[in-house]
Amino acid sequence: MKILIATSSAPFIRGDAEVLAGNLVEALSEAGHEAELAVIPFKGYPPGRIPAQILACRLLDLTETCGTRIDRVVGLKFPAYLIPHPNKVIWLLHQHRAAYELWDHPAGDLMHYPDGPVVREAIRQADRELIPEAKAVYAQSQSVSGRLLRYCGIASEPLYHPPANALLFHKSSPGDYLFFPGPINSADRQRLAMQAIAQCRERVRIRFAGEPGSLTEQAEYFNAVRKRKLSDRIEWLGRVSEDQKRDLYANCLGVIFPPVDEDYGYVTLEAMLSSKPVITCSDSVSLLEFVLDRQTGLVAHPTPESLAQAMDMLWADRRWGAAMGEAGRARYRDLRISWANVAEKLLC
Amino acid sequence: MQVLPVLAKSHEVVLWTDQDHVAPEVHKIAHVAHYEPGTPPWREINNGTISIYHLGNHPEIHASIWQISIQQPGIVVLHDLCLHDLFFTFSVRHRNDRAAYLNAMERWYGQEGRQSAEAFCAGGVSAESMPQDFPLTREATRNALGAITHCGGALAELNETPACPTAALDLPYAATEEPRYRVWLAARDGVPHPPYRLVVFGYLNRNRRMGAVLEALAGIGEREQFRLDICGQLWDESHIRAEIERLGLNSIVSLHGFLSDDQVEQKLSTAHLSINLRYPSMGEASLSQLQFWDYGLPTLVTRTGWYASLPEDATAFVRPESEVADIQAHLRAFLADPGAFRAMGERGRRSLKNHDPERYVDAMTRFAAEALGLSPRVSALALARKIGSDLTEWLPAASSSYLLERASKEIYTIFAGRRRG
Repeated sequence: MKILIATSSAPFIRGDAEVLAGNLVEALSEAGHEAELAVIPFKGYPPGRIPAQILACRLLDLTETCGTRIDRVVGLKFPAYLIPHPNKVIWLLHQHRAAYELWDHPAGDLMHYPDGPVVREAIRQADRELIPEAKAVYAQSQSVSGRLLRYCGIASEPLYHPPANALLFHKSSPGDYLFFPGPINSADRQRLAMQAIAQCRERVRIRFAGEPGSLTEQAEYFNAVRKRKLSDRIEWLGRVSEDQKRDLYANCLGVIFPPVDEDYGYVTLEAMLSSKPVITCSDSVSLLEFVLDRQTGLVAHPTPESLAQAMDMLWADRRWGAAMGEAGRARYRDLRISWANVAEKLLC
Repeated sequence: MQVLPVLAKSHEVVLWTDQDHVAPEVHKIAHVAHYEPGTPPWREINNGTISIYHLGNHPEIHASIWQISIQQPGIVVLHDLCLHDLFFTFSVRHRNDRAAYLNAMERWYGQEGRQSAEAFCAGGVSAESMPQDFPLTREATRNALGAITHCGGALAELNETPACPTAALDLPYAATEEPRYRVWLAARDGVPHPPYRLVVFGYLNRNRRMGAVLEALAGIGEREQFRLDICGQLWDESHIRAEIERLGLNSIVSLHGFLSDDQVEQKLSTAHLSINLRYPSMGEASLSQLQFWDYGLPTLVTRTGWYASLPEDATAFVRPESEVADIQAHLRAFLADPGAFRAMGERGRRSLKNHDPERYVDAMTRFAAEALGLSPRVSALALARKIGSDLTEWLPAASSSYLLERASKEIYTIFAGRRRG
C-alpha cells in the first residue's frame, strides 16, 4: 500500500509528535508498505488565520501521485487530519487544544484574542463536521479520545504506541533516588515536586533530568533549591543522553512525574518498561490510564503535602515499590503496546 | 435599566464600560468592569458566553463600543438605524481619519458612496440627507453574530439588511404598578382645565419639529385653551425663543430645560397630551413614547419609521407632508372630545404589556443562543472575502471559476454545519 501520513508542524520545531510521525513511517515500512510523511506547516496565530489553514488543507488533493493511487491517508494533527481522502483513517494525536480544554487555561492562547471565541467555534465546527469523514478514528490515548467525545460527540478508539527504542529499556536494583525526567517547564510541574520534597519526612532524593525552557527559569530553580536548603537532596542533571536516561530509569527507586493534563506521556511507559513504579497526580489525566494507584504506582493529589506523602511511602517500603514496578511492566505487556499493533489497526 | 435587572436575575452579567461614571444603582445589579478602548482585556471579555453591544448615534458613548464589536463578534442592539452620523463624527471629527469614513462609505455603497462622502466632507451635501441616503447601518453590524432592532422590517426598508441573523424585538419597558398610576390620574384630574397641558419631552433635536408645533399652536383660534411645556435640551434654544416671541406664544409656551426625575413625574402626571414628533427619523424606537403611555398620555407622533408601526388606536398620527394642518386638526379634535384622547392614552398604557422586559430578555437570550450557534459563519464570510480579494489580485476571472467553486463548496462544508441539518 502507498500510505501518506498527514500531519502538521510548526517549522523548525521538533517535538514528540514529530518523532512519533517518523516512527509511524518506519513501522509501516517495516510492515511492508510504502509510507511517507506529508507535513503541513502550521502557524496558530493570529487565530483569524486558522480557518484559512483549515481551508488550505481541504483544498489539497492526496488521492494520487504521478498517476498512482495513494491507498490510504493517516491523519495525525490538526488541521492536517482534515485533508480529504476517500480512504482516510485518523489517529488523533490531539485537536487544536486551545479551542478545547485549554481555552481558559494559562497555556491556551486563543482566549487572548478578540476573535478567539469565533475561531474556537469555527475549529470545533470543522472538527465536528469533517472528522467523521474518516473510515476510522483512533486517538493516541484515552484522554484524547474522551475529549473528542465530550466536545465533538465523536467516538474513537484509544490506540497506544511505544516510546522510542522501547526494547532498550531495562531494569536494575532500586537505587537511592527518585527520577524525574523531561523538559523543565510549568506543565510538567518540577516546582511541585520541589515543594513536596521539602515536606517529606524521609530523606528523599530526586534527580531531575531535562533542559529548562530558559536560563532565567534554570536560575529560578537553582535559587529555590538553595533557599530551601535542598542541595543535598535535589540534583539537576540537565540534558542527558538516551543511554544515560535509560540507566537513570533502570537504577532509580521509582519515577516521579506529575504533569498537568498530559495527553500521553512517554515517561510513564518508559518507567513501566524499566519496571519502576510511578508517582503521579490525580490531574495528570492520561497517565492515569497506565498508573493504577497502589498497583503500578501512587496517585497523589496535586498538592505538595499529598505528593510528599506518596514519596515517603515509596521511600520507606522499597519491596512494595519493586512489586509495583513489576506490575507496571506486566501491565505494559497486557496493553499490547507495539508499533506492529498500531500499524495493523491503522491499515485494517 | 429596563433590561439589566431582568437579565441579571437569570444570567451572570458583566457590564463593560469605558465611561468614568456609572450610576450607583447599576453596581447593585451587575458587576461593572472597565476597559480602555485601545487595550481591551480580551481574556476577561472572552470569559463571557456572548457579548451584547448597544449602539446608537452618540460618538462619545457608542464609538468605543463599536470598535470592540467589530473585533469581538457579538450581538449588536441597534438603538438607531441610521448610523451615518456616528461614523462620520467619530472618524472625521474625533479621529481626523477621513479615509476610514470614505472607505466605510465605499464598502457599502461603492463609488457613489465614496463620491457622496467626499462631497459631504467638502460641505457640498446636506447633513440631513446623508443619513437617509447612506445610513451605514451595515458598518455597525459588520462582523456581528446577530443584530437586534426595535422596529420590524426597518433594516430591509433601509436596504441595510446585514449578513447576520436579525431580530426585531419590542423595546422593553416595565410599566409602573397600577396604584401609582392611579395617583397620577388623580393628579391630572386635579389640575384645573382648560387650559389643557401639552408636553414635549427629551433631547429636542431639529427632527423633533418644534417649529411646526409652535406654528400649529399659533395658527389656531383656540390656542388659549392650551399650555405647552417644552422639557429638555433644545438643539438651538435661541432660535426657539425667537420663534415663540415672533408667534406671540410667550404666555402659552414655557421652556424648562433638563428636568430631574421628580420634575419629570410632576410634568407628565399633570399633562393631558404629549407631542412626540420625529422627522426625519433615524429609525429609532422611542423610550419616551413608552413613558408617555406609562402615564396614560395620548400622543401625537409622526407617521414614519418606528412610530408608524404604533397602534392606530393608541396614537394620533401626523403626516410629514402636512404637519401643521394635522397637529391643528388633532388639537381641535382634542378640545371637541378630551375623553376620546384620554381613552387613547389608556389603550397606549395597556399596550405596554407587549414591552414587558421579561418577554424581551427571554426573546433576546433565545436569539443570542441561536446566533451563537451560527458563529462559524463569521469565519466563513471572512474567508470568502479573503479568497475573493486574493484571487482578484493574481488570477484572471476566466481561470478562477474552478478554484472559486472548490473553495466555496469547502467553506460551506466546513462551516455551514450541514451534518447537523
